[in-house]
Amino acid sequence: MLKVLIVDDSLVIRAKMKGFLTKLGHSVIGEAKDGKEAVTMNEKLQPDLITMDISMPVMNGVDALKQIVETCNINHTNIIMITANGQDGIVKDALKIGAKGYILKPISEEKLQDSIGKIFPQYYSEECDVLDENELDDMLS
Amino acid sequence: MNEEVKVVHAYTKDLLVPIIRRVKTYLEEEMKIDVFNCSEIVYPKNIHLKRNTIMIGTSGSIKLIITLGYDDLLLNKLVEIFTHGDNIEDIDTNEVKNSVACEISNTIIGNAINNPIDNSDIYITPPVLVSEAKTLYKDKDSKFVYVSLVTKYGEIQLTAVGPKEQFEDELEFKDI
Repeated sequence: MLKVLIVDDSLVIRAKMKGFLTKLGHSVIGEAKDGKEAVTMNEKLQPDLITMDISMPVMNGVDALKQIVETCNINHTNIIMITANGQDGIVKDALKIGAKGYILKPISEEKLQDSIGKIFPQYYSEECDVLDENELDDMLS
Repeated sequence: MNEEVKVVHAYTKDLLVPIIRRVKTYLEEEMKIDVFNCSEIVYPKNIHLKRNTIMIGTSGSIKLIITLGYDDLLLNKLVEIFTHGDNIEDIDTNEVKNSVACEISNTIIGNAINNPIDNSDIYITPPVLVSEAKTLYKDKDSKFVYVSLVTKYGEIQLTAVGPKEQFEDELEFKDI
């Protein structure tokens, strides 16, 4: 079971993510409404995984990702970026900075499970269609 | 004497058509709501926004304000479908409604946004709710575009506002 911090300014997305994660057997230990809250809550709660929306007020997800990566051990920081914006530059930047995966909205339980399975193979489901790095590059090119 | 050469990019059609198409596919594929009709794109002098309107701006090499307005009945249906199975009993109904409108608008515009000028990334602002009906009047240097998509629960109104040089003289667009 993973300890997960959900970061999203949308309360309906936070509720939806919480439902999906609980159903997948994980524990939601915190919810943040913007990047600034996420940085603080990450230090305090030390989650196994963060789901981070990119477009948020106060501090966006990419800036929060940068701050978290700067202050934490990159190997122990598992962040999945959530975005509606499918332009490859934005996603590639986040992956370069240190995000371990991304989900293109609309979110679904299957997409979330796929992304988690890629980072944590013990949660890989036979039904998951997990992309490796080459496939991801192909998709983004 | 060197004359200043002004490069004019008219790209509204290339930018808006994918958004119109994504409104249709989002409603039909994600929400299972058929779109019966799409109006012609028109350039009105003013726009009366619906009571439930979400505003999203773009930045980068393209600067536009895009709004998506929802009829009440349609938005209620979208809320019902979107939140099905979610634990939201403790949250205020209006907050849920606004949040769903913001989320759907953000997903539609984010999924469809592209850059027909130079392929550089276009960033979109977090969605903003315009909570009551408002009328927008255009300035001489700006232009409005308006199109509506009709479902059995009501319509979605899509508008874009920006500097007039961004807009083609005629869009002649009807087919989605």
